[in-house]
Amino acid sequence: MPILSRITNYLRNILAREKTDRDLDNEVRSYSDLLAQEKMREGISPQEARRTAILELGGIEQVKEQVREARAGAWLDSLLQDLRYAARMLRKNPAFTAITVLTLALGIGASTAVFSLVNTILLKPLPYSDAEKIVMPVRLAPPTLNLGYEEINWGLPESQLLIHQSNAFQSVGVLKNDSFNLTAAGEPALLDGVRVSAGFFPTMGTAPVLGRTFTTDEDHPGHEHEAILSYRLWLDKFGGSRDILGRSVQLNSSAYTVVGIMPPGFVFPRGEDMPAAFNFPRESQLWVPLALPATKIHREDPDELSVIARLKPGVSLAQAQAEMNVFAKTQEQQNPGGQGWFNSRVTPLARVVAGDTRRPLILILCAVCVVLLIACANIASLLLTRSLARRKEFSLRAALGAGSRRIIRQLLTESLLLAATAGLLGIVVAEVGIYLVKVSGPSNIPRLAEVGLDLRVLAFAIAITLATGILFGLAPAMGASRCDLVESLKEGGLRSSGSSAGQRLRKTLLVSEVALALVLVVAAGLLLQTFFHLLSVDPGFNPSRVLTFELSLPDSKYQDTAHIVALYRTILDRLQSVPGVQSVGIVKTVPLGGATDGSGIRFTEDPPRDSRQLAYSNFVVGSPGFFSAVGTPVLRGRDFLETDVLESAPVAIVNNAMAKKFWPGQNPIGQHVGLGSKRYPLMTVVGVVADIKHLSFREEPGPEIYVPFTQKSYPSLLTMQVVLRTKSDPTAMTASARDAIHSVDPDLPLAAVTTLDALVNTSMAQPRFSVLLLGAFAALALLLASIGLYGVISYSVAQRTQEIGIRMALGAQRRAVFAMVIREGIGLALFGIVIGVAVALAVTQTLAAFLYGVRPADPLTFVTVSIALLCVALAASYIPARRATLVDPMVALRHD
Amino acid sequence: MTPDPNNDQTNLLQGTLDMMILKSLALDQMHGLGISRRIEQITKGTFQVKPGSLFPALHRMEEEGWLVSSWGESENNRRAKYYRLTKAGRRQLESETERWGRISLAIARALEAS
Repeated sequence: MPILSRITNYLRNILAREKTDRDLDNEVRSYSDLLAQEKMREGISPQEARRTAILELGGIEQVKEQVREARAGAWLDSLLQDLRYAARMLRKNPAFTAITVLTLALGIGASTAVFSLVNTILLKPLPYSDAEKIVMPVRLAPPTLNLGYEEINWGLPESQLLIHQSNAFQSVGVLKNDSFNLTAAGEPALLDGVRVSAGFFPTMGTAPVLGRTFTTDEDHPGHEHEAILSYRLWLDKFGGSRDILGRSVQLNSSAYTVVGIMPPGFVFPRGEDMPAAFNFPRESQLWVPLALPATKIHREDPDELSVIARLKPGVSLAQAQAEMNVFAKTQEQQNPGGQGWFNSRVTPLARVVAGDTRRPLILILCAVCVVLLIACANIASLLLTRSLARRKEFSLRAALGAGSRRIIRQLLTESLLLAATAGLLGIVVAEVGIYLVKVSGPSNIPRLAEVGLDLRVLAFAIAITLATGILFGLAPAMGASRCDLVESLKEGGLRSSGSSAGQRLRKTLLVSEVALALVLVVAAGLLLQTFFHLLSVDPGFNPSRVLTFELSLPDSKYQDTAHIVALYRTILDRLQSVPGVQSVGIVKTVPLGGATDGSGIRFTEDPPRDSRQLAYSNFVVGSPGFFSAVGTPVLRGRDFLETDVLESAPVAIVNNAMAKKFWPGQNPIGQHVGLGSKRYPLMTVVGVVADIKHLSFREEPGPEIYVPFTQKSYPSLLTMQVVLRTKSDPTAMTASARDAIHSVDPDLPLAAVTTLDALVNTSMAQPRFSVLLLGAFAALALLLASIGLYGVISYSVAQRTQEIGIRMALGAQRRAVFAMVIREGIGLALFGIVIGVAVALAVTQTLAAFLYGVRPADPLTFVTVSIALLCVALAASYIPARRATLVDPMVALRHD
Repeated sequence: MTPDPNNDQTNLLQGTLDMMILKSLALDQMHGLGISRRIEQITKGTFQVKPGSLFPALHRMEEEGWLVSSWGESENNRRAKYYRLTKAGRRQLESETERWGRISLAIARALEAS
């Protein structure tokens, strides 16, 4: 058919439908008249002739319907018709429509919001070119160390080898965080930045917006005084002026030439995206050449390099991993005693960035999908009730010529219209949800700023909308289409034969709802207990009213250790005399402020010949007053004293875990301990302090040694954290603390100003977020399940009104009737609970990694939740049971 | 759009009904009942077209542009809708006849061959 006439046909059939319909009606009727006439001519009575004519025709309406379906655009026509009809049905039942649309909108909205997080964090490639090719060979600590984390930094020799010898990587970049004191450009500012090797920018694959990146030549000692700035730093400090290139800036009191500006948003590495153990800056603001010396010069610096690499085209992750395994083998052979220290895991950068959020996110996505499933079951059950009540209507439609497929299609249209309305509303709900997460969620969700509704999220929303629409619409539609025309027309009311099958389906739906809800509530219960266990964990310090900030001394101005120590002493004195300060100290890493340095240790003057036998411990440099400032109790012995100086006997304080591990049952005071090399003096233990948590509340404390900064031998003191315990609001003390510091050296900026409370909050933010979301979803699931139970029991009572009436007429007590209904509700709930417990026992095993202080199969949780669910079931059956006892036998027996 | 297999005495091959209708309209315009009686007559009762198949086919063919319809008076003064072949309809009849000839020849040969 030519396209033009096809379109005219479409238009005629849709626009002039009434006229063509009338025409068709006339035509079929005239046919039947002619047929009847024919028969009358054969001598049959007019009445009989008309009857046989219609019989032979097969029904006027049926023929008309067949013609309509043969017409061009019939599907569109019937779709429009169905939609109009569906809209009318939904408008006519506002309560039903509102409840289903709201339930579904919440379900779809929540799923979409959670999916948008999953999409950004787990699915969307990082904003770098060919980002899936960027990997991090993450060095793994020997498992025997028990650090509480496995990622450790690379050392200089290994990174050199990786740069020059690897075959799997197209480029290898080495980076090391550093902070830079920017002076002579307004207020002195301490900027987070990284020193990077020449391979860093090619590996990231991001081009600067202005200027260039570093050349290999600049990556050598002596040529490294060049800097690349972040877009924001360029705007904030240099007004975005284009003649910045080639200009000299003062960083750590040395002149650096600006050679490039990175595009907006490029702040790699961003601390919150990376494993905490790496201690990366919050947001990198500038990059300077790492200029690795050919040999390790600063022997006292710990290994603190990270490596990123770009896979060669065609090289797989597994091949790269295999190469790194060979690398580890070779290194172990060349470095006797280094067994287990060269292992690494080649991880895609996207995976590193998603890090610890991966599993909680998937958990939350599963939870939200379960809620959606329960919502669907509820709505399916509601629709089923309605479709049973509408049986007469369907029979009538069938009698008027609608085929069973036509009825299914109409019912599905109704469900899909419901779902689509809910889906639209759900997208609004999702937007609100995303906004709430951004505003009140934990700030350390990686890439949170990128989260939003994009095409993939919208596709997901549409997909689940369609899926739910079909899911909850199909069962009732199938049920309705199977009805026997004559039977249901005759019976009419609720009690047609098919409805018992419907009720069975509803009960099945309900049992699965209860089971799903139980699984979710058990999971939420376990996480809640975990959360409270974490809250009640003794962190080893008292976070209230403690201000902390970072001081970073420029190495051009402060080189001599004695000079540095003197400076800190003056600063400590000045701070101590600030009104409102209770105690003050300095330390290398504050509690919950990230990983500490670590070192091999020895207990005798001579270290064991085989370095494999060295024990390992955290190593923290601190000052007198630090422990009282953070509120860490000194359990035995004493704190550091002003008199512990370079000239006096070297002392150390150890934590409880160390005392227990190395001197069980002995008095640790007076024991000797030293770093793994003979170059460092053996120290005498003078005190034992409580175990301080560094990375999270979950961590198992490891052995830890504290040495006074006045006797320090390793590592550099250039960057230290100041801790102030104040008498009132700690943040109010920031200004006076800054004044005190500037009275000593006006060029010293205060960085990373925060409170211990804030650090604790950040550390708890993620578990709190998970427990909050999961708790909300569990509550929702419980509510939906109880609504579902109420619906099924009410319906069952309504259906059995006559039976109940008969029972009561025959002498059944109201109490017995009441018990009968309650029994039905409890029975269904129990069935669901038993299945739920079985499923939950399996599911919670996979939760083990999230839990702390509670077992996955915690009997208390299982029993409590089961009882709670039973109580909910009792409450949900109570109203229908009451209603059943109020049945008047006389009315019930007459009940249609 | 599923044709009921019991609608016709012989289950008409797809497309055969169209050809029958075109053929019956070749001489003169006709109304629905007339068409089905004419088909009965020319096939000597082998094919009885019921309205459930006839009307959808008529309307489809009208949309294809092979037929045009108009209201008129029947032989005994009843209003009825009359169908008439268009040029396109005639062409269609020719090509269908030719195609049918080929097919039936081929089938006859195939059956003789064994």
